[in-house]
Amino acid sequence: MRWGMVINLAKCTRCHACIAACRIEHFLPLGMTWPRLIAWETDIPGEELSTIPVRCNQCKEAPCVEVCPAEATKKREDGIVYVDNDKCVGCRYCIIACPYQNRTFFSKDKDPGYFPGSERTRFEKAGHKLYEHQAGTTEKCDFCLERIDAGMAKGLVPGKDREATPACVNTCQARALTFGDLDDPNSEVSKLIKDKNGFQLHPEYGTEPSVYYIDYKLGNAPSNVAPREEQTASHLQHLSTMEARAKQIFGKK
Amino acid sequence: MSRMATRQWMITHEWMVKPMHQREWIERRGIMIWIAETFTSLGAGLYLVSLFVGSWWGLLAGWVIIVFIKLPIHIAYFGKPWRFYQTMPPWSNAWKTSWFARGILFSVFFSMLGFVQLVFGQPDFVNLVGANICNPIYYTFGVLAGLNALGVGIYGGFIMNYVKGIPFWNQGLLPVLIMLAGVADGFGLIMAVGLAGGDASVIWAETGSRYLLLINVLLITTYMISAGYSSETAKLSIKELVAGPSAFMFWGGLILLGLIVPAGISIFGLIEGGEAATPLLITAIAAHTIGAFALKYCILRAGIYRPLLPKISAF
Repeated sequence: MRWGMVINLAKCTRCHACIAACRIEHFLPLGMTWPRLIAWETDIPGEELSTIPVRCNQCKEAPCVEVCPAEATKKREDGIVYVDNDKCVGCRYCIIACPYQNRTFFSKDKDPGYFPGSERTRFEKAGHKLYEHQAGTTEKCDFCLERIDAGMAKGLVPGKDREATPACVNTCQARALTFGDLDDPNSEVSKLIKDKNGFQLHPEYGTEPSVYYIDYKLGNAPSNVAPREEQTASHLQHLSTMEARAKQIFGKK
Repeated sequence: MSRMATRQWMITHEWMVKPMHQREWIERRGIMIWIAETFTSLGAGLYLVSLFVGSWWGLLAGWVIIVFIKLPIHIAYFGKPWRFYQTMPPWSNAWKTSWFARGILFSVFFSMLGFVQLVFGQPDFVNLVGANICNPIYYTFGVLAGLNALGVGIYGGFIMNYVKGIPFWNQGLLPVLIMLAGVADGFGLIMAVGLAGGDASVIWAETGSRYLLLINVLLITTYMISAGYSSETAKLSIKELVAGPSAFMFWGGLILLGLIVPAGISIFGLIEGGEAATPLLITAIAAHTIGAFALKYCILRAGIYRPLLPKISAF
């Protein structure tokens, strides 16, 4: 069993809901971001701006696991790479070694409170009790392993049952994120990767990421072309409202 | 939307979209890594050169640099410094895969073995106990401490060399470059030991320094050329050094002070038929040391990641 995720870029509406869901699920401090939605400029006329959601790739050959001097970063049998914050010494070598830069060092200045200068909200106070973030250690996405473990203990199937599925996947209103077992050829993720020519970021590093992307532009595969009717209505609506504003902010080189 | 809010919004979005500098090990507290890595080279280089020339005072200075400057600065950089012990067996077996853990082990072993060697090489102690007892212990521990000093001097190169996302670092020559630069710095510092009245020959140190400087010029040139062929991102790193924001440190610190000035003084001494005058030697030592800081700064500052996106994976 190896948990993995497929991100359909043709369906992503750039709504940031996955990032918000992660923030809520893990009570992330203000300066901490586990998944990111990054944007870049293209030279395709009319499509000057494009985005891509990124998060820890849960690499099969994870450099962060190999370099950690305290064995604080570990890989489970199901492929999830996680950080034991009680062991992390905060040397930040894992941050340096991650070619995808999906790790963040948590220092106290990254937790000024959501309303700096004011008292912490009830949400923040609850978060400090429920999900303690240790200053001086490194953090990253762990595919919501608590949800997976708790769900599987109840006999649920991650990727199918919401209770056992990562929060970002549950919240994605465009269903751009799919979660499942990469080792199971009949799982939805495996089928998507096979049928839509899923690709990984920088496979040449030999890290074998567990996060795959499918897209009609980046993959350069004819089968990846997403017919317009398959794109969600919210996607089209979002593009129409955001494109002008995004162009205004990012400008053109 | 205010300017500040726009900027914050953009920082999130620009992450790894274009070639991006590593910041953890050079900015803010990361400056401590730069300083610690420089003292690693200086200390290990001096220890190795002192072993070679048999200078007890040089050994002592190298050991002090590693134990009382490099290690504390390195550990103070950690987010959780008091967990330092967790990087070593039996708490962690990471030395099997991690050069960082190996480096810590090299440093700790070097501290202990070097201490024993220093004690059994101390002239008063030798007179007290007897050379027939002290010498075997001194030489045995000298070999062991020397091997660990070699490890201390080279592990930083392997740490950076391992990083696949930074093509400028991901070069096979990097550990060799860092090690030999450290030995060259050692020759610079052994001159200081000789000048201070220690048990080291200044003329010999100058000769060694001359050869090492020549080797380092060739190594740095080869490194830059071969790195430039490896990827577009590595080319950006080189541009950053040669004509970018780090050009002052590269040309002024590394090339001029680190290589040209010491080499010039050394050649001047050779022409004069012996060793250069004391003020010139002091200048050479200072320039050597500044060059050591500049080299580490340039390497760390030129660490640029390839972007995440396949669209621009030409980098």
